[in-house]
Amino acid sequence: MAPEAMDDAPEDVRTIPLPCRVDENVFARIYEENCGVLVSVAVRKFQVPAGDAEALAHDVLLSYLRRADEIRDLHHWLIGAICNASRYYWRQRGRNVEQLDTDVAAARPDPRSSNVLTDLPNSIALEEVLERMPPRWARILRLRYLEGYAIKELAELEGVTSKYMQKLVAKCIQRAQEIFNGMRDKKDRDQ
Amino acid sequence: MTHSDDVDHLAECSACRQRFAANVVPFDPAARRNREREFTSLAGKLERERDDSSDVVARYLRDTPTEEWSRLAEMPDLRNNAALEQMSEEVRRRLHRKPREALAIANLSASIAESLAPSQYPSVVLAQLRGTAWKDRASTLRYLARYDEALEAAERGEEALAPFAALEHDRAVIRLVKAITLGQLERFEEARAIFSECRQVFQEYGDTKRYVQAGMAEAGSLYEADRIDDSRTLWLDLLPHAIAEGDVETQARIHNNVGYCEIRRDEFGSANIHFSEAVAGFTDLGYTSEVARTERGAGLVLIARGQITSGFARLRDARRAFTVAGMTEDAGLCGLNIAAVLIERGDRNAARAIAQDVIDEFTAAGMNERAISAVIALRDAIDVDDATAETVNTVHAVVESLRESVYDAAN
Repeated sequence: MAPEAMDDAPEDVRTIPLPCRVDENVFARIYEENCGVLVSVAVRKFQVPAGDAEALAHDVLLSYLRRADEIRDLHHWLIGAICNASRYYWRQRGRNVEQLDTDVAAARPDPRSSNVLTDLPNSIALEEVLERMPPRWARILRLRYLEGYAIKELAELEGVTSKYMQKLVAKCIQRAQEIFNGMRDKKDRDQ
Repeated sequence: MTHSDDVDHLAECSACRQRFAANVVPFDPAARRNREREFTSLAGKLERERDDSSDVVARYLRDTPTEEWSRLAEMPDLRNNAALEQMSEEVRRRLHRKPREALAIANLSASIAESLAPSQYPSVVLAQLRGTAWKDRASTLRYLARYDEALEAAERGEEALAPFAALEHDRAVIRLVKAITLGQLERFEEARAIFSECRQVFQEYGDTKRYVQAGMAEAGSLYEADRIDDSRTLWLDLLPHAIAEGDVETQARIHNNVGYCEIRRDEFGSANIHFSEAVAGFTDLGYTSEVARTERGAGLVLIARGQITSGFARLRDARRAFTVAGMTEDAGLCGLNIAAVLIERGDRNAARAIAQDVIDEFTAAGMNERAISAVIALRDAIDVDDATAETVNTVHAVVESLRESVYDAAN
């Protein structure tokens, strides 16, 4: 084998001293500035119930303290931590909730320029599909196509850009199609 | 990074973070204030402990006989986060040089972490302390080739973290050690799946150093599984991250590994370029032994693939580099590799000359008599036209085994 491939043990990154000694006000500010965002990410992106999201965000912030000296980009680290914590939370409860892959989403056409939307409600039992989708995705589709929310309104509601919401909706439709196809195939097999 | 755009954006833009968090999730202000107080008071406590315990572990270890280190678990001033951090650092320092001492410290650390009072730190922090201690124990056991015990220790660490969703980073650090151990047990499929998971976690946390570390290991396991193109692609993907980190050593290692991949793909020109990049990197760092090892590895593989001229040149460069680094034994072994090639090519005079050079170098360095005798026997066999490349390889194996037995005795 290539001799450099697996020789190195993963070692903890050497710590870099903080620029100044502890100032509890600094940490209070870190908490104030980030706790709300972390809770929001857990609730809005991963549908973690608010009480549990608050506890997750708190644990993320506490765990940060032991690694504070080695973290270069606090916000990146904290956001990564809450996303992973939310996924773990749902894995423990038997559900997989993944963030969306924007590359795949970007490859999808805008639903308004496609006939998917006109075909879909006519050809599937929409509720049955929505029930099988991750809660956030189902909610977005309901708001968009059953309650008539505009992309811009949905974006504001979810706290994301309109452009991203457009991709998100396309991705949700793609997933709905996959679920529908799976249901149809199963039905065909059963027959 | 694989975050969705908006998550990436949130990490980078404070205005959007505020907008995202505003008026969305109702919360109990009193409960949040209490949590904030817990957070700030823990921050202060950890810093005070660090200030009060500077080099306490080094002092205790220095003043206590090694065989009594386990008793240090009872010392009150070692029973805190700062001391455990120092122990982890001591393990790291000793791992390559004195792995048995590293293990004794890791055991001490695990024993302290497991017996801390639940009231001393919040439960999530206690779990981190325990996870790190078991990870250190797993690393040292792995280093001592006690793989089953290393896996057990890693699993203990995972158990400590399991109740805490917020500790995915800590979990990934432990699982990386576990996966490397699985790789050493040749359980490559299991290892690869874990490497890949860990890499993704580190990437999301923006932990580039560990992301590259996990990727290097994953690419290594792909290489082992003969998935040469996949391993090459992954190593090349890691290269910009190592460059961004300014990590010249990792860049050199990646080039070295890509060189091996290119040889397997019969892309000898590209292989030579990557090996040269690796040599340049190691040379810049002053890692003379790595320069020589890279040259020797590349030379042997090239020769094995029939690229005699370029392989031979690499071996000669390697021998020169070993000599310059004062690594007489390695220089001699490299000389024997060259002699084998020369005999294959029918150039017995040159092979004899190099065997004689090796004898002279070994003698001058006062090396093992049996090693010298083996090379003398080789030279004599060349004189009577009775030496084949296989003879040279046997002598090479004898010299190498003598070196290993000396190392074993020393450890």
